[in-house]
Amino acid sequence: MEEQIEMVGRAFVDHYYHLFDHDRSALGSLYQPSSMLSFEGQKILGVEDISAKFKQLPFDQCLHVISTVDLQPSAVAGGIVVFVSGSLQLQGEDHPLRFSEAFHLIPTGQGSYFLQNDIFRLNYG
Amino acid sequence: MDPDAVAKAFVEHYYSTFDANRAGLVSLYQEGSMLTFEGQKIMGSQNIVAKLTGLPFQQCQHHITTVDCQPSGPAGGMLVFVSGNLQLAGEQHALKFSQMFHLMPTPQGSFYVLNDIFRLNYA
Repeated sequence: MEEQIEMVGRAFVDHYYHLFDHDRSALGSLYQPSSMLSFEGQKILGVEDISAKFKQLPFDQCLHVISTVDLQPSAVAGGIVVFVSGSLQLQGEDHPLRFSEAFHLIPTGQGSYFLQNDIFRLNYG
Repeated sequence: MDPDAVAKAFVEHYYSTFDANRAGLVSLYQEGSMLTFEGQKIMGSQNIVAKLTGLPFQQCQHHITTVDCQPSGPAGGMLVFVSGNLQLAGEQHALKFSQMFHLMPTPQGSFYVLNDIFRLNYA
């Protein structure tokens, strides 16, 4: 059971950042109408607004490099809480930004997961 | 009650207990609680508090920089994301940390920590 959570959670994290870095407009597929994103303190609700937020971020290309991934079962209907830390390299910037991100994954019922909760914060030095 | 206010009150209570009376944290966890502390997984309130009271410093002070919270689903839970500084007595520089709590309601109208993940933020 624990191994399965590790596998599912890590696969999801890889997929999320891969989409973010290579096909940002497809990130919306990971959220649902009830999903919430807090991005540097700004609260955004639902797929449409979350997708719009990602589209509007003021950079075209970026690369997430993940340092740590911690996972636990969340006891909400088979959910998984995930805590990620890493670096975000923006194209043209000298130094990468460090960030932490918390996800709460909920099963869709069709064998995959969606993001019910997503909280993103930059880690300032 | 406003969820942001609840989260903020919980966070203040958690860290002031941690800093003044670490063993008192036992009331904030239950049997099914989980802590991942710098990658080490610990289960249950007794083991969690043993880990925290066994940390290699006597005195510490948490200074909270950011608190984000979101409702986690139909069970009434709340996800709380905290970042801040941890000053250890005798150390010159504070450590930066991030911590994620998943709070669940108790029948008595308060919250306990079901999931707790702590990570230091290295430069």
